[in-house]
Amino acid sequence: MKTIRTWCMFIAVALTMAACGSAKKAANVDTQQWRYELDAVGVGTQGTYQVKVWSYSKNPNVATEQAKKNAVHGIIFKGFTSTRGVPSQKPLVSDSRIATERKDFFDAFFADGGGYMRFVNLSNSHDVAIAAGDRIKIGKEYKVGIIVSVNKDALRKELESAGIINKLGDIF
Amino acid sequence: MKTVRIFIAVLFCGLSTIVYSQAKKPTIMVVPSDVWCNQNGYMTTYDNQGTQVKVPNYKEALQSDADLLLVISKINELMQERGFPLKNLESSLKTLENQAAEDAVLTSKSGAEVAESPIDKLKQVAKADIWMQLTWTVNKTGPKKTVTFILQGLDAYTDKQIAGASGAGQPSFSSEVPVLLVEAVLAHIDNFNAQLQSHFDDMAANGREVALRIRVWDSFDGDLESEYDGSELRDIIEDWVASNTVNQRFSTTDATEKIMLFEQVRIPLYNDKNRALDTRGWAVGLQRMLRDKFQIEAKLMMKGLGQAQLVLGEK
Repeated sequence: MKTIRTWCMFIAVALTMAACGSAKKAANVDTQQWRYELDAVGVGTQGTYQVKVWSYSKNPNVATEQAKKNAVHGIIFKGFTSTRGVPSQKPLVSDSRIATERKDFFDAFFADGGGYMRFVNLSNSHDVAIAAGDRIKIGKEYKVGIIVSVNKDALRKELESAGIINKLGDIF
Repeated sequence: MKTVRIFIAVLFCGLSTIVYSQAKKPTIMVVPSDVWCNQNGYMTTYDNQGTQVKVPNYKEALQSDADLLLVISKINELMQERGFPLKNLESSLKTLENQAAEDAVLTSKSGAEVAESPIDKLKQVAKADIWMQLTWTVNKTGPKKTVTFILQGLDAYTDKQIAGASGAGQPSFSSEVPVLLVEAVLAHIDNFNAQLQSHFDDMAANGREVALRIRVWDSFDGDLESEYDGSELRDIIEDWVASNTVNQRFSTTDATEKIMLFEQVRIPLYNDKNRALDTRGWAVGLQRMLRDKFQIEAKLMMKGLGQAQLVLGEK
C-alpha cells in the first residue's frame, strides 16, 4: 500500500513538473513570436524604462516569470507606445532581421537564467499578489500583467559591445 | 633587420590609415529657442537700419534661469553617457569673451595689433554644426502642472531638422517644475538620439549634406555666364559639382550671372587619400580646378563643416 502511495506521489510530482516545463516551453515560443504586450507605466529613473508586460500562459506563475524575459525582448525588438503622458519609445534594434542574423547571441541571451536577467527587475515582487485586473483568464490560459523596470542604458551598452547596435556617432 | 624595418613601416601605414579613417565629427550644442527666450524675457532689441530686431540674449538667460541650466546640464550629461559629449553654451560664450578681451590688448614687440577683417568679427559667435534647440512651457490647471517639452536637432548648414522629440509629460499635483523638466528630458532623449543616429547612418551611406555658394567679386572680369572653352562658367562649375558628389546628388537652387547656390550637396566623408573631408576641403578641389584650367582665382571661405563660399575673381 505504501509503495502504491509513493508511486502515486512520484507520478503526480512528475506530471506537475512536466506541465510546468511544457508551459515554460510554450512561453518561450510566445516570446520569440512577440506574443506579449508592453505598456508604458511611467518615466523610470535615469537609465531605466518602467513598463507593464502582459504575458500569456496556462500557468500564471510561468507568465509571471516570463514577464522579465518579455520585457527585455520588447525593449530590444518592439518598443512601446505612448500612454498617459509617457512618450513612446523605439526599439533598441531598428532592424528586426538582426534577431535571425545574430540568433546564437540571442538564444544564449534569452536562455533561462541567461544574460537578460541582469537588466530587469520586477517592480511588484513575485510574492506580492498581482492586482485582480492584471490577471485575466482568457479561454484556457491566463494573461498576466507585471510591472517591471528595465535598465535600458546598461542593456544598450551590452548590445553595443556585442556589435548588435552601433554606438551613437560610431562613424566619427 | 630588414624584416623588422618592413614590419615597422607596415605598422606605421596601418596606424596612419586608422588615424585618417575617422570622419569629421560634428559639434552639437544645446541652446534655448527664440520662443523660450522671448517668453521669458531674455531678448535684446537693436535697431537694424530702422527695423527693430530682437535677438536672444543667451548670456542673460544662463545667468538668470536655473531651470535652463538644469535642463542643459542634464542633456549634456545624458549625451556624454552615450559617448557623444556636447559643446557647452555657457563655456563657449565665456571663451569668446575672454578671447575678445585678450585680442584687444594683444600687441607684438613692435606694437602691431592682431589683424581682423570685418567678416572675422561677425563670425565670432558661438558655433556648432548641430543645434539642439529646446523649448518648454509649464501648463497649470488649478494645482495640476504639466510640462510641454520640445527638443529639435537643427543642422546649422542645411537648416533641416534632423531629429526631434516633443510632448506633454504626466500631470502632477506635487512635483516641482525642475523635477518635471528632468523627467521630460529623460522621457524624450532616447527618441531624439534614435533619430540622430538615423541621420548619422544616412550620412555614412550617402555622404555629408552640405551647401556651396558661388559669388563673384565686382572686380572680376566676367561673370558666371562668361564662356570658357565653349561652355558657360556656371555649367563648368555644375559639372564639377556633379562629378564630385556621392551619386551626383545635389540641387542647384540659384543660378544667375552673379550667384550660384548649391544645396543638398552630398559630399563623401573621405577624400581619395582616405582622409576625412569637410566642405572646405571638398571645395578646394573646385578652387584649384578653376585656377589651373581657366586661370580664375577665387577666395574660399568656410562656415563649420558644412558650408563653403567661393568668391571668383581674386583672393
